[in-house]
Amino acid sequence: MFRFVLRRLLITVPMVLVVITLTWALIRLAPGNFYQNERPLPPTIEKNIRARYGLDKPWYVQYGRVMGGILRLDFGSSLRYENETVNDILRRTLPISAAIGTLAYLLALVVGITMGTLAALKQNSKTDYAAMALSMLGISVPNFVLGPILVLIFSLTLFWLPPARWGGFPSWNLVLPVLTLSAVYTAYIARLTRAGMLEVLRSDYIRTARAKGLTERQVVMRHALRGGLLPVVSFTGPALAILITGTVVVERIFAMPGLGNYFINANLSRDEPLILGIVAFTSMMVLIFNLLVDVAYGYIDPRVRY
Amino acid sequence: MIGIKTARLLTLIVAASLLLSACGQPIKKGEFFGKLTPPDGQVLRYISGSEPESLDPQMSSGQPEARVAIAMFEGLLEYHPKTLEPIPGIAERWANNSDASEFVFFLRHNARFSNGDPITARDFVYTMRRGLRPELASRVAFMAWDIKYAQAFNEGDAFVRDPKTGRFVLLSEAAGGEQPSAKTGVEGVADTEFNRLIHEPERLTVPGDEKDRAKKIKSDSKLAQLIAGKELVPVEAKDIGVEAVDDYTLRFVLRSPTPYFLGLAQHQFFRVIHEKTVERYGVNWTKPENIVCSGTHMLAEHKPYNQIVVVRNPYYWDAENVHLDKIIFYPLEEQTTMMNLYKAGEVDATYNHTVPASWLKAGLRYAKDYMDAPENGTQYWQLNTTKGPTADKRVRKALAMSIDRKALENFRVVSKANGGFVPSGILPGYQGPPGFITPDVEGAKRLLAEAGYKDASGKYDPSKFPAKELEITYNTSESNRQVGEFIQAQWKQNLGITIGLHSVETKTYFGMRARLDYKGIGAGAGWSGDYMDPYTYLGLFMTAGGDNGTGWYDPVYVKMVNDANREADQAKRYAMLAKAEEYLLDNAPVIPLLKPATSWMKKPYVKGMYPNPGTLHAWKFVYIEHDPSKWDQGMPDMTTPGLAD
Repeated sequence: MFRFVLRRLLITVPMVLVVITLTWALIRLAPGNFYQNERPLPPTIEKNIRARYGLDKPWYVQYGRVMGGILRLDFGSSLRYENETVNDILRRTLPISAAIGTLAYLLALVVGITMGTLAALKQNSKTDYAAMALSMLGISVPNFVLGPILVLIFSLTLFWLPPARWGGFPSWNLVLPVLTLSAVYTAYIARLTRAGMLEVLRSDYIRTARAKGLTERQVVMRHALRGGLLPVVSFTGPALAILITGTVVVERIFAMPGLGNYFINANLSRDEPLILGIVAFTSMMVLIFNLLVDVAYGYIDPRVRY
Repeated sequence: MIGIKTARLLTLIVAASLLLSACGQPIKKGEFFGKLTPPDGQVLRYISGSEPESLDPQMSSGQPEARVAIAMFEGLLEYHPKTLEPIPGIAERWANNSDASEFVFFLRHNARFSNGDPITARDFVYTMRRGLRPELASRVAFMAWDIKYAQAFNEGDAFVRDPKTGRFVLLSEAAGGEQPSAKTGVEGVADTEFNRLIHEPERLTVPGDEKDRAKKIKSDSKLAQLIAGKELVPVEAKDIGVEAVDDYTLRFVLRSPTPYFLGLAQHQFFRVIHEKTVERYGVNWTKPENIVCSGTHMLAEHKPYNQIVVVRNPYYWDAENVHLDKIIFYPLEEQTTMMNLYKAGEVDATYNHTVPASWLKAGLRYAKDYMDAPENGTQYWQLNTTKGPTADKRVRKALAMSIDRKALENFRVVSKANGGFVPSGILPGYQGPPGFITPDVEGAKRLLAEAGYKDASGKYDPSKFPAKELEITYNTSESNRQVGEFIQAQWKQNLGITIGLHSVETKTYFGMRARLDYKGIGAGAGWSGDYMDPYTYLGLFMTAGGDNGTGWYDPVYVKMVNDANREADQAKRYAMLAKAEEYLLDNAPVIPLLKPATSWMKKPYVKGMYPNPGTLHAWKFVYIEHDPSKWDQGMPDMTTPGLAD
């Protein structure tokens, strides 16, 4: 087990570096740069800017500097926001994205698993159809549609909840973005749980458990859920990584000052250090959560051993 | 495993919710939009545009930054809340010499920074010198390039001096022109050693960078001779033509007549900063814990992408006339989100172009709190004057004459018809030519016939016109396509010619335009005025390159504009510039179409805030009116003489 985790962690480092290098190259291939606007700048002003940010150096010097910084976990300063380092931005925005993401994740887990389990236990009943219809809706309505609909109902018609903006943690401002964000995940988790549970409920060891004389409650909670949730675990690991590192659409609709908002703007304004910082961070998170999923498998599924 | 019934139900639910979101509540004519509860006390919550790139007034170029900078920093001049004309700021009064090449500002004695330090002319000198430092790499430093040697310093150039005699090589020696006659300065201001030096004939400057210099010398053999055996003296900050004559007298010496200099001096680049703070904290000087401000308000909190809070500056010289205790700027970019916040009563006003087109069409343009006023900008098409049928002035004019701009205005909802190149009715005192405001189809046909597109009887014949050699080229955008199709239809209807549309990716389009390799018609150009003077538009055609985009360069025009700019009497100067604009339109390198409108929302209880042509507000005049009987019942009146009503 320990050796497995160590090996996986060691692979993470070169993988992140590859991702960074590819991103770095892609930024260079994209037309335009961070200081160019609609109006052309006088060439001498452009020259001053290029000198200040070291863009006049050959590409390998720039690449070396970027990589050197990343190995020291120092992503440098943002190009667009002149007195902010990428680390400052990550430190400030991550808690916001993580707050929304974690809440949405927990909500999705609780509601999704409950819905999925109920649907599986009462297969082909009205409960099952209602739960699956709802989850189909959750999957098919994109969050840029769901968000505005929720705003329209709760903020602009009933005037119950604020329509946008960050109001600290906890605050009423979180309700709509969390609901919007969790919808699709709830739906997926419900469907995965249902499918997983249905499969497990038909398996031999459940029959054995029932034959032992366990109550239905014990059968479900102790035996079925453990196996039935495996697909959910492999789905939610990477999902959590994406949720807490910022979700672009929801953060924009609800004007949340999270990482996702910065990421989209960093790309639009070709803010290289910021893009690289966020990409490096997100890919690290995805890799780590995948690792956690694999470790969790070992605990949940008795058949998996490292 | 979903049954057909369930699928139907789902479809129904989705359709219903989409319908719900599409209609919402209809906006009725003559009503206000959304909640009308003013915030407690004197607090304004304002959507200011995207997150400022910097709070440093010398670093930022855009309007989102300007809106915040106006609150935190004051310059010599401030914007008139209704017309944007210069009004006294830290300068109580000002004067210029006869040809507008020298400006002197007399500063008020009671101006202070937010830490209590007095603001003197020396602070302005520091502000300018620092803003122009090449290593600061300010994107907007060119705003100050009209100041003598400012550009040379900003570009890292050097003077050329004869080591034996100590004499500097003059610009006139290199350019071969006449020695310009000595100018008189502003009367009644003390003469100083610096003043004598700066008024000496302009020196030659060459790039300080060796490679750049070599390149320049290569293309100019005369320059090589002039430089040979001479020493290079780097242009320094102290060489720039800005001088503190005494603590409260500030003199700018410009390299040529610049009658629009007051307009430049309103820009955030000219707003004064606190030397000790800037030098001590470097790039971090604008952080809330470090910053020292000079404006009506000072920074209290900055949470990027969330809010910027400024509070009353107790040391502001006119603090008793500042109404707002606090302004909260919300940096937002999503129009729908802004409108949601506005409707829910969580913000009190938005910036320009914030109302989505679909909302306007749904009736928001009839709301009483919709601000729809002409803007300091112009929308036009460029014509390639270097090749193809559009190389003929008559063809260009005919194309421009045969468009019904009023119909275009109705089609576009927000923008207004504009017949001239300079937007009409926006710049106080400037009366430009009517241009192409009234379509003249018969005249256009006559011109085309004269250009040779005629049948045997000498009448205009559309089949002779080489429409295939032209293309309406535009950078991909929905609105460009719509306008393109509209005008395409007009030409078809009025002139019987069909010109194809050609959509190009934006960066590629800018390249095509710069190289002049578009086929005849470059659609979708726009220009926002940098200051309130027609030169901000007419100056585009003073060179063939840069933002011109048409290849049209005419020495007659250049002379007309230069002569006008040397005229001291503003009324006469405007009349001369109007003549130049008429000449420009007669040559029609561009097809003027529309002037944009500001298009924003403001709650009726926000007073002293006007839909001015730049949507730049001097915050000191803005206040919250808690008495509903005094609320605005529509757009505030902009014609009243006072600064704020």
